[in-house]
Amino acid sequence: MADKGKVYVIDDDEAMRDSLNFLLDSANFKVTLFETALSFLEALPGLDFGCVVSDVRMPGLDGIELLKRMKAGNSTFPIVIMTGHGDVPLAVEAMKLGAVDFLEKPFEDDRLIGMIDAAIRQAEPAAKSEAVTLDIASRIATLSPRERQVMDGLIAGLSNKLIARDYDISPRTIEVYRANVMTKMQANSLSELVRLAMRAGILND
Amino acid sequence: MTNITRSSSADAVGKEHFRLRIEGFGVGTWDLDLSTRELEWSDTTRSLFGIGRDTPVTYELFLSLLEPQDRDRTEQAIKRAAEVGGNFDVSFRVGRTPGPGQWIRVRGGLVKDEAGASRHLSGIVLDIDEEKLLEEALRTRENHLRSILDTVPDAMIVIDGNGIMQFFSTAAERLFGHAEQEAIGKNVSELMPHPDRERHDGYLARYRSTGERHIIGIGRIVTGKRRDGTTFPMHLTIGEMQSGGVPYFTGFVRDLTEHQQTQAQLQELQSELVHVSRLSAMGEMASALAHELNQPLAAISNYMKGSRRLLSGSLDPNTPKIETAMDRAAEQALRAGQIIRRLRDFVSRGESEKRVESLSKLIEEAGALGLAGAREQNIQLRFNLNPEFDLVLVDRVQIQQVLVNLFRNALEAMAQSPQRELIASNGKVADDMIEVVVSDTGTGFHDDVKPNLFQTFFTTKATGMGVGLSISRSIIEAHGGRMWAENNAAGGATFRFTLPAASNES
Repeated sequence: MADKGKVYVIDDDEAMRDSLNFLLDSANFKVTLFETALSFLEALPGLDFGCVVSDVRMPGLDGIELLKRMKAGNSTFPIVIMTGHGDVPLAVEAMKLGAVDFLEKPFEDDRLIGMIDAAIRQAEPAAKSEAVTLDIASRIATLSPRERQVMDGLIAGLSNKLIARDYDISPRTIEVYRANVMTKMQANSLSELVRLAMRAGILND
Repeated sequence: MTNITRSSSADAVGKEHFRLRIEGFGVGTWDLDLSTRELEWSDTTRSLFGIGRDTPVTYELFLSLLEPQDRDRTEQAIKRAAEVGGNFDVSFRVGRTPGPGQWIRVRGGLVKDEAGASRHLSGIVLDIDEEKLLEEALRTRENHLRSILDTVPDAMIVIDGNGIMQFFSTAAERLFGHAEQEAIGKNVSELMPHPDRERHDGYLARYRSTGERHIIGIGRIVTGKRRDGTTFPMHLTIGEMQSGGVPYFTGFVRDLTEHQQTQAQLQELQSELVHVSRLSAMGEMASALAHELNQPLAAISNYMKGSRRLLSGSLDPNTPKIETAMDRAAEQALRAGQIIRRLRDFVSRGESEKRVESLSKLIEEAGALGLAGAREQNIQLRFNLNPEFDLVLVDRVQIQQVLVNLFRNALEAMAQSPQRELIASNGKVADDMIEVVVSDTGTGFHDDVKPNLFQTFFTTKATGMGVGLSISRSIIEAHGGRMWAENNAAGGATFRFTLPAASNES
């Protein structure tokens, strides 16, 4: 029943590889596993188009380096980055390097599968992703000017304190704005907020 | 008062002999006729003053030879002797160019004639240059010594063999509050509090008889007493010396008040440092744990969700139940990941993801997690929640952690209690703060435990890590609230913490 497309999983953790194989297989993807980014890159010339799902922190070649090499090789493969240790600067860097998304482990299966689906069905997504972008843009439009400033600070990787200092308001007030931003943007975490901002084109190189 | 009287010529001859003899030892003689103001100088006197044998000497010449600063003083002394009688004894310098003047000492007295009228002043002249130089050198050295002692921060006190103070340095004045004049002559035990005060004479006597050293040359920390009666810690070193066959003891005193304060501050700082390093160790641990645990948690979630997908479409009648169970299992894996993530973010950055949350919902959810099995243990749960003070701006996961932690502690505390009741309630304490109170009917805590309750790695439980309350308080404080504990009327413990209220408009 494996007909939804090919997925290449790169993770140095065996249980992660095996469980992703199990999950994605059950979701009807054709999965190939790689223990290192290097072995994937070596096999890459002979591979059919598919979505890459890679861990970021790995011995040898890490996820960021993989993104750089794929970008340098003008690869058309979409890449989803996973991390067990998410932080904002890393997410921003990954997104800037062309990752389609950034997921913190453990994650909802629906999110991963949805992402892979969208990435693989590149032919039709133009319209859909436009709709998504419009949706995010409309969320951003609901932010007050102050909330927008706080969001800009957050996706730049600033702490509450630093944002508070920049705008000369108390950190506690920033917390209130931050809560509002997260609610209005429907973001569950900072890295998700960064992803949304990237999608909406707020965050550029 | 001895006035030399000229009686007979025989006497005069005898005196002349005597005069010649003492001249040989460098002692000159002189005679001033008060009526004519004529001066008569012997050869030695002349040579001491640097005046040739043929030069006539007068009182005026004599005065002119003196160094200006000595002149008045000398003239006054001579005048007084001439008018009032009695002896005089003056020392002065005779001007010599170049170089310093020579020191000369002149002694003399009034000489009366047979009729008892004052006619002459007469006496001897001595060369005291050497003595004066010695004296000056001695004085310079003493001044040096004094200035050194004045600058040494340690106080110095010299006592004699009976404990009577002979010397009291400026630093000692500062330290003990006694003036030097006040202290000298008094027993050094005045500077000691009871019981040394009464015993010090005994210490000295014992040392005299046994020669056994208890403090001399060893140094020791003792207590000193200031003039105002206050006491202070001091380090005392004692040296012994013999001067003219009499023993003296020199004590050097260093004030340890500041030293001890510094020590205490240092200790405080150190314990703070330990706390901080523990915290950062916890941060590192949380960070490492996050990475290590998130992998297996993600794997669990993936397996569960994969199974769940494979199961859909199965005709087994148990399928819905199994599906629900798998969903829940996967949810818990995600929740565990979230807890770790928040904890790590919090410990490493001190920040948390805050939202407007319903307190009653938080407490009920935490109750469901932390109080599982409580009803079976016969524990009564009472949530007295006022809906007016329900909305708070918090990180849901973190506050639930705090609540679960408090609930679990309460359950454990009540395990042996006949009455088992856990009450959670809320109230408003300030315009922008809401208080949450969790009380149990357990055993409460001892007073000696209280101050340490929130310290990291402090625990009263046999198997506890001592992290729960410490993290709980850190979480509450990061929310801008406070957390504290008290014993309640039921004999149990009451924990209170405050959280920022969410204003309705935000």
